[in-house]
Amino acid sequence: MPSSLSTLKVSIAGAPIVKALCAALALLFVLAHPAAAQLSFKPTAESVHEDQLLNALKEGDKITGRISIPDAMAASLIQPAGRDWRDFHRSKLPIIGGVAIIGMFALLAIFLMVRGRVRIREGFSGRKILRFASFERFTHWVTASCFIVLALSGLNISFGRILILPLFGPEAFATMSAYAKLAHDYLAFPFMLGLVIMLVIWIKDNVPGKLDLQWLKQGGGILFEGQHPPARRFNAGQKGIFWIVIIGGALMSVSGWFLLFPYLPGNVTALQVWTVIHAVIAMLFIAAMLAHIYIGTIGMEGAFDAMGTGEVDLNWAREHHSLWVQEEQAKGHAPSGSTPRPMPAE
Amino acid sequence: MKVFLAALLFAAIAAVGVSLVLNTIQQPSSIAFTTGGARVGDPGNNLIGPS
Repeated sequence: MPSSLSTLKVSIAGAPIVKALCAALALLFVLAHPAAAQLSFKPTAESVHEDQLLNALKEGDKITGRISIPDAMAASLIQPAGRDWRDFHRSKLPIIGGVAIIGMFALLAIFLMVRGRVRIREGFSGRKILRFASFERFTHWVTASCFIVLALSGLNISFGRILILPLFGPEAFATMSAYAKLAHDYLAFPFMLGLVIMLVIWIKDNVPGKLDLQWLKQGGGILFEGQHPPARRFNAGQKGIFWIVIIGGALMSVSGWFLLFPYLPGNVTALQVWTVIHAVIAMLFIAAMLAHIYIGTIGMEGAFDAMGTGEVDLNWAREHHSLWVQEEQAKGHAPSGSTPRPMPAE
Repeated sequence: MKVFLAALLFAAIAAVGVSLVLNTIQQPSSIAFTTGGARVGDPGNNLIGPS
């Protein structure tokens, strides 16, 4: 009798149509009674093949069980959407990130080669005007330093296995990644604080206006040599960076909050959605900040002083923020006069 | 430069402070998401707790 049963099993398992029917019946049963389905068959039995079952389950379907431990998420046994999520993280996200970040590096390199460094046309005057007060620079550097660590430790998740693991070996990579993860988790908080303070102190100067359209039409005086368009304290480009930081930072903060406290979203699917949002926004955010770092350092002569010492050259300020200089001069906060004093070249 | 260094120091202190607060108000997953019946004696050697 046992041998005849065995023969029957083999013959059933060997017939593709019967196998498909068995899988379909099992699927119907699972969808109708997910909890009871676990008692009706074993995933390793011949009548149900796991890959067939997974392929048959549609998006949003999942097989759940009954548990008695406090972790409610542990009740999800099989969730095929998780494969899409894993595929996204392992395949699509590195491509998105690679294109965004390497693409930005390439664009900036081409821009530097074609346009060259944006110089102060009248040269350094030797007279200074206060651009950012100490507290503003402090807030900027708190946020920026946290961002750099967050970006590098975040990129390690997507690219570390490919780029760093072969260089350092598994033990060093694992140790580094563990510390990077801790830094990522905890530096997120001063980063979020910095975002809030920046929003409060700079929003009044970053409201878009008609002047910004004019600035954009003229390429900010940066794309093409010639007259710089007028601008107040922040021009349209800087306003764009400000809103990218605030909106992107807010999205990163909300999604990151759910990753830090993964039981807040309520279920695994929601958590996966938040990780995708976090990862995609992060890649775009990093690419945008590369442009910001470029134009604030090597891309534009005299620009770094604004966040370095807080004081910029008067001629630089006149060229890039002519209306702001007039306002500051009217308040008596800036030296007047227009005679440039030649300064030695850098 | 002073402002920059002060910002770095503040970020580091804030991160350490947050870690202390979070570690005070949160339990390890080996305790928070298990019941007494399922809890093991040495979670570090059982892959479900701090090592």
